[in-house]
Amino acid sequence: MAGLSDDAQWIVMMGFVVSLSFFFLALLLNQSTVVGQTTAESVLDFPKNDIRDVRSVMIQSAELLNATTNPISVSQYQTIQNDIQRLSLSEKKAVVQYQIINPSPLWLSIHYNNGVTSYNETWVSP
Amino acid sequence: MVNDRGQLFTIEGVAASMIMLFTTYLVLGATTVYTPGDSHISDMQLEQIGSDALNMMNTPSNCTSTSCVSQLQQIVYESDYPATNTTASINFNTTFLNYVNNRTGPISDNLHYYAVVTFRNITNPSNSNSTSSYYLASNRNLNGVEHPVRVTEWVLIGPPNFPNGINLPLNAAATPRAVLVEVLLWRD
Repeated sequence: MAGLSDDAQWIVMMGFVVSLSFFFLALLLNQSTVVGQTTAESVLDFPKNDIRDVRSVMIQSAELLNATTNPISVSQYQTIQNDIQRLSLSEKKAVVQYQIINPSPLWLSIHYNNGVTSYNETWVSP
Repeated sequence: MVNDRGQLFTIEGVAASMIMLFTTYLVLGATTVYTPGDSHISDMQLEQIGSDALNMMNTPSNCTSTSCVSQLQQIVYESDYPATNTTASINFNTTFLNYVNNRTGPISDNLHYYAVVTFRNITNPSNSNSTSSYYLASNRNLNGVEHPVRVTEWVLIGPPNFPNGINLPLNAAATPRAVLVEVLLWRD
C-alpha cells in the first residue's frame, strides 16, 4: 500500500481480535442451547426401557411354557405371545417377534423393531 | 490515477460488518431453539423416573421357593373387575406416588399420573386382535393443559402364582395373559 502510514496497524489487529472473540462466544452460545435438546431427544428416541421390558416379558412367558412343574399349555403360551405382539404393535408402535429355538437349555430368538431402532438377540438360559 | 489511501479502512469495514452480521445470525438462531430444548430435558427425566418406578413395582420383593409375586402383578390381578375393586387402585396410588414423589428432605415433588391397563380382546368375534383398556388408578384427572409423558410396563399374570391366570373384562374365561400397564405422568 504505497504511501500509506502503517503506524496504527496494531489498532486494526486488535479490532480483528476483539470481533473474532465475540464471534467465538456467539458460536459457544449457539451450540450450548442445542446440546441439551439433542441429548434429550436422542435419549427419548432410543427405546431402552421398551426393549428391556418386552424382552423380560418374552423370557418370562417362555419360561412358563418350559417350567418343570405345572407348565402352561401351548395354546396358553400362544395367547400370551399374541398379547405381546398385538399390544406392542397397537400401543407401542413396535413390531416384536420371538420364538423358542431350543427348549432345553432354553434358547430364545428375540426381535424388536419400532421403525427407528431394531434389536435382535438370541437369549440363552443361564 | 485513483488514490488508494484508505484501502485498509475499507477492507476492515467490510470484514467487521460481515463478522457482526454473522454473529447476529448465530445469536438469533440460538434463542429460537431454547424453549423446545428445555421441555425435552424435563420429558426425559419424567420418562426415566416413571419407568424406574414401574420397574421397581414389577420386581418381586420377597420370593419363596413356591411363589414369587411382584406388587404390580398382585395389583393388576386384583384389579380385573375395576367397578368393584378399589383396594388395587389405592395400593397402586400409594406405592407409585411414593416412588415418584419422594425427595431428599421433607418437601415432596408434585408429579401426577393417570394409569390404565390395556389388554387384547380374545373373545371379540369380529376382531380378536382389538385392544381395550380399563381404568386402574389416578390421583388427578387430565384436563388438557398438562404435557404428560407416557410410560409403560408389561405384566404377565400366570402360574405358578396365579394358576388360572387373569379374568379380564370382555373375555370369557380366566387364562394366563400378558397385559400392558400404561401411565401418563406429568408435573405441575
